[in-house]
Amino acid sequence: MVMAGQRRPMGPGQAGFWRSRQGLLVLPPLIFYLLVYIYPLSRLWAWSFFDQHFTLEFYRELFDEPAYFKALTNTLEISFLAAALSLMLGYPMAYLMATTSPRARNVLMAFVLIPFWTSILVRTFAWIVILGKNGLVNHLLGRLGLIDEPAKLLFNMTSVQIGMVHVLLPFMVFPLYGVMSRIDPSLVRVARSLGASPRRAFLRVFLPLSLPGIGAGCVITFLLAVGFYVTPALLGGQGEITLVMLIDMMVNTLLNWGLAATLGIVLLVVVGIIFAVFSSLLGVERVTGK
Amino acid sequence: MNRRDILKAAGVVSGAAAMGPFFHVGPARADQGELVVVSWGGDYDQALRDLVFPAFEKETGYRVKLDAPPETAKIRAMVQSGNIAWDVVLTDIPAVLTLMKDDLLEPIDYGVLDQAKLGRIPKELQRSHALGQRIYSFNILYNSKMIPKDKHPRNWADVWDGKAFPGGRTFNFQGGIEPQLETALLADGVPIDKLYPLDVERAWKMYDRLRPLVTKWYTSHAEAIQLLTAGEASIGCTIGPRGITAKHNGAPIEVEYNQGKLASDNWCLVKGVRNKKVALEFINHAIDGKAQAGIAQRVPYGPSNVAAFDFLSPQEAADLNTSPENIKEQYWQNVEWWSSVEPNGKTQREIQAQRFATWMLKG
Repeated sequence: MVMAGQRRPMGPGQAGFWRSRQGLLVLPPLIFYLLVYIYPLSRLWAWSFFDQHFTLEFYRELFDEPAYFKALTNTLEISFLAAALSLMLGYPMAYLMATTSPRARNVLMAFVLIPFWTSILVRTFAWIVILGKNGLVNHLLGRLGLIDEPAKLLFNMTSVQIGMVHVLLPFMVFPLYGVMSRIDPSLVRVARSLGASPRRAFLRVFLPLSLPGIGAGCVITFLLAVGFYVTPALLGGQGEITLVMLIDMMVNTLLNWGLAATLGIVLLVVVGIIFAVFSSLLGVERVTGK
Repeated sequence: MNRRDILKAAGVVSGAAAMGPFFHVGPARADQGELVVVSWGGDYDQALRDLVFPAFEKETGYRVKLDAPPETAKIRAMVQSGNIAWDVVLTDIPAVLTLMKDDLLEPIDYGVLDQAKLGRIPKELQRSHALGQRIYSFNILYNSKMIPKDKHPRNWADVWDGKAFPGGRTFNFQGGIEPQLETALLADGVPIDKLYPLDVERAWKMYDRLRPLVTKWYTSHAEAIQLLTAGEASIGCTIGPRGITAKHNGAPIEVEYNQGKLASDNWCLVKGVRNKKVALEFINHAIDGKAQAGIAQRVPYGPSNVAAFDFLSPQEAADLNTSPENIKEQYWQNVEWWSSVEPNGKTQREIQAQRFATWMLKG
């Protein structure tokens, strides 16, 4: 055993870390990831290239059919929109949480957290009841005399987005709040005292400092949205077919696991590229919120 | 322990993981006096538990363990990995065909089964790898609050008529169910006895006409019933027996049997079944006329054994899709057409299911 680490000052990123006993702590998660993530992923990768023998047939099938491409663009479109809407709703919420009194913050925190504890399926069904033809919203609008016949709120992009943003919001608010709460409030005050309008102080000081939170929140919500199945399936009408639904169909209905694996790999690659572009624009440290 | 050791250990672990699939470490399949039956869950399973299991367990000394649902993907994974946890499964013909194509089922030894019982089960329900147990049907279901019973849609052409019959429609998409091509052809006026072989292009043209009428393509039958009950859709194409159950529970749902598509859920033996003799003995108990009548009283699916009607009142029979009155208005799905293999090596079912997905995406 080499105990060099004890004699040397250590820190993450230094060779001493690996030589020390602390390095051992990396082993369990490393093994865990190898077993339950890297290994299955490599099998998936292999499935997309093998049908008894090596074949590119699945990839050919995929690129021959424009509809599969449509499913991919659907998925990305829905996910981008969901992440953008989450940011629009989440940013003011997080701002309020970071700048208000501790008591009010706890109340706001509860508002974000309590839905977080309910299962996605339950929340999705709740939206069906609320947005339905004879649901709460239509009932209310009808009573107020704002509409003559029930508005079509359900089974379209609107309901998909409402349902998804509802689920995703905490994943946007918490990274934002985490970053904002560490922004020194005196910086904004200094800007103000030097003659900046509140708007200018926010745009030039607070907003740039909160960028890491925006980056982290957008990446997390976007990636989660890409994997959504239940919400678009139940709240969508007809056009909102995502790649995940297609994969489910290939796996469970058609038992075409080769094509399912291929669709999965393509989704992984595309999302990986988007992530790479995003993090190179913002800087990796900003996206990971370091 | 240094960094190299750690990496070495990680290498060994990942190497072992990569070798995993070549060594099946699952326990050998010992016959432990247990039979695992897989059904769809819910009331039907409870009825099986109450009306079929006791007699079988008493006679054979085996205990039945129930599991649900019989996912084809799971069966495939089980057989391929050699860890087969299921013996007998109750599943529909589309699943049976998919499983048969990949050689994941054992043939049924009809010689071992009770010949008197088999004699009362229609021949088309006795397939090489699947024996019919209960009959489901795709029928016209409607919300009786939105559409009065005396003005209800009586055939599929009515369902396609958005002007005469207002309110949205709900049809299936995903969930392992093929597109309703027969239904579309009936709506276009094809006679019920001239459906097969299906004129696929004509059927898809009718689907184009159906699209604007559909408010929601449902992904499960339970969802379809919910949509009809809540009035999100006025008319749906879904499982008639489920509509009857909902009606008994107070939902404003009625079933029109005319031009309905009949199909069966069937007993199958999973490839590598532990004790085939015992499994067949279980099926023998399940196809008993009296037992099936008792089940049908609780869950209104048509019994495969016609003898069951000897034990049912006329009122109870009227609520079943296979009652003499109702069955003559309907037709049997032609499974051979759906399982026929095209030059590209795919079955019609696979081709049409894939086309369904691409059709939906192009909309």
